[in-house]
Amino acid sequence: MFWRLVFRLLRGSRARLTVAILALVSGAAVISGLLNLDFGVEYQLTQQFRTLGANIIIAPKTTESAAESTLTNSALMNEDAVMGQVQRVATANVAFAPFAYVIARVGETQVVAVGTWLDQLQNLNPSWKMNGGWISSRADAGQCLAGRNAARELHLVTGGSLQLQYLTRTSQCKISGILDSGAADDNQVFMSLDSLQTLADLPDKVSVVQLSVSGTPKLIATTASRLSAALPQFQVHPIRKVTEAEGELLGRIRLLIISMIILILALTALCVLATMAALAMERRADVGLMKALGGSITRIVSLFVAEVGLLGAAGGLLGGVLGVGLSYWMGLRVFDTAVTPQWQIFPITIILMTLVAMAGALPLRMLGEVKPAIILRGE
Amino acid sequence: MATVVQIENLRKEFGKVCALDGVSFEIQEGEWIAIMGPSGSGKTTLINILGGLDTPTSGRTIVDGVDVGRLDEAGLTRFRAEKIGFVFQQFHLVSYLTALENVMLAQYFHSTTDEREAQQALERVGLGDRLEHLPTQLSGGEQQRVAVARALINHPKLILADEPTGNLDEANEKIVLDLLRELHTEGRTILMVTHAPSIGSLADRRIDFSHGHLVPQLAPVGSQRR
Repeated sequence: MFWRLVFRLLRGSRARLTVAILALVSGAAVISGLLNLDFGVEYQLTQQFRTLGANIIIAPKTTESAAESTLTNSALMNEDAVMGQVQRVATANVAFAPFAYVIARVGETQVVAVGTWLDQLQNLNPSWKMNGGWISSRADAGQCLAGRNAARELHLVTGGSLQLQYLTRTSQCKISGILDSGAADDNQVFMSLDSLQTLADLPDKVSVVQLSVSGTPKLIATTASRLSAALPQFQVHPIRKVTEAEGELLGRIRLLIISMIILILALTALCVLATMAALAMERRADVGLMKALGGSITRIVSLFVAEVGLLGAAGGLLGGVLGVGLSYWMGLRVFDTAVTPQWQIFPITIILMTLVAMAGALPLRMLGEVKPAIILRGE
Repeated sequence: MATVVQIENLRKEFGKVCALDGVSFEIQEGEWIAIMGPSGSGKTTLINILGGLDTPTSGRTIVDGVDVGRLDEAGLTRFRAEKIGFVFQQFHLVSYLTALENVMLAQYFHSTTDEREAQQALERVGLGDRLEHLPTQLSGGEQQRVAVARALINHPKLILADEPTGNLDEANEKIVLDLLRELHTEGRTILMVTHAPSIGSLADRRIDFSHGHLVPQLAPVGSQRR
């Protein structure tokens, strides 16, 4: 009988409740749209910043600038020791590779030769443009990559060969591709780590390890602190320019979205409040009668609470669906990319709208004060 | 016969106005009492106090052994649900509930609902074919019959009827009065407020009010029955 009465109440006040549910659906649509956009923006920004390259560097503590270091024993890490720990800590969303650097010669010209896991270069630097082919084998000693500037300086072409000399040792490889990074990497040549270690005669030594964590600034910081704990003898530091820029931008967008959500919640609650105040006046006679028939205020009010709760949940659900569409449209219009629906916004929107409806239904509390004798007299 | 209602020196003031002033009387089980008097004489105030809808300024009201004046809000609510069946002049049905649901509403507040029993109550008042009708789809007489079915559904100790035929035409008045007569024959205790002497004369006993006082009765109990 309880739900039968609740549905009759809903039917009985269709006109007024339509106004309330319109307010709830509108509020829920904008809120779920903003929430969906918020989650989507975080994902989009994370992906965008991910293309900028590594966001964590592991280097020896003595090294001032890891990228500038060359192979000297005082500025090196043991490959097995450091990579074992990195592989233990790194999760599936982390790309990483060790790097070793040496200033080699090609004929009379000096060039920075970089030894690394060749198959990880693309994962670490998705924004690099490649003229030719990436190298899919990690330790392919026969192939190497050249930066755009280095290739021009050394007259290298894809498919051509490169002979590097370091002290009395030499190494030869075939150019698989010419890369364009738009940064200092364009001045370097990239070969397998083993080949470089052999060329430098420093087996199992690396200069730095680069990691690219795909995730929020918080996740990057967490990964960095876990690595620090696992590798206390080395320096582990996030590349702050990237993580801070991402964090700051996300923070600003989130603040804007949260402010708008609070404002919309308040406006929706006010609209529901006004409707419910009118409804409370309409229902005084019914409540007076229910009390006269022996209805306790708890049982009577529970009917109205359930009614308002249903209204809020329905408004939240309908608005949630509309909001996903809204965020999809906004994503295309504002960010030029479709925002994927985030299903977790549905329970959030439904709960928020139910709470707003309950808050807006505060005028129904007045019904507890109704005196049946007065109401039944028609006053 | 057991005493169902016992009123002792009942007084009710609304500010400076005294609606009931030292009223005392008793009603025995199975009696049909007509409360009569001009407007403002305190009839409805008495019904409200007896039904636990209002509280007296002083005096005692005992219904089926319960001192109504001593009940708190929750106690009054239970008292109304279990002991009293109301029939109002304005019918007072819930407009968005069907005839059946209006009867079941009283069941719901009493304990649990029984649709079959509610249906039988409506069939008894001749509305077996109007179960799913909303009050707006019923005539005044039919609405009042729904109200009578609702008043009976929880088997109350006392039926309080405030001008039950006041808004009805002659034909519907007769139907409702026949129903009350039938209930009386079954042994129900009925307290009915009315302006009309012809309706009042149907009762076992008449209690006249004037300015909040009882008017002394000259006729013996039962002498006015048709």
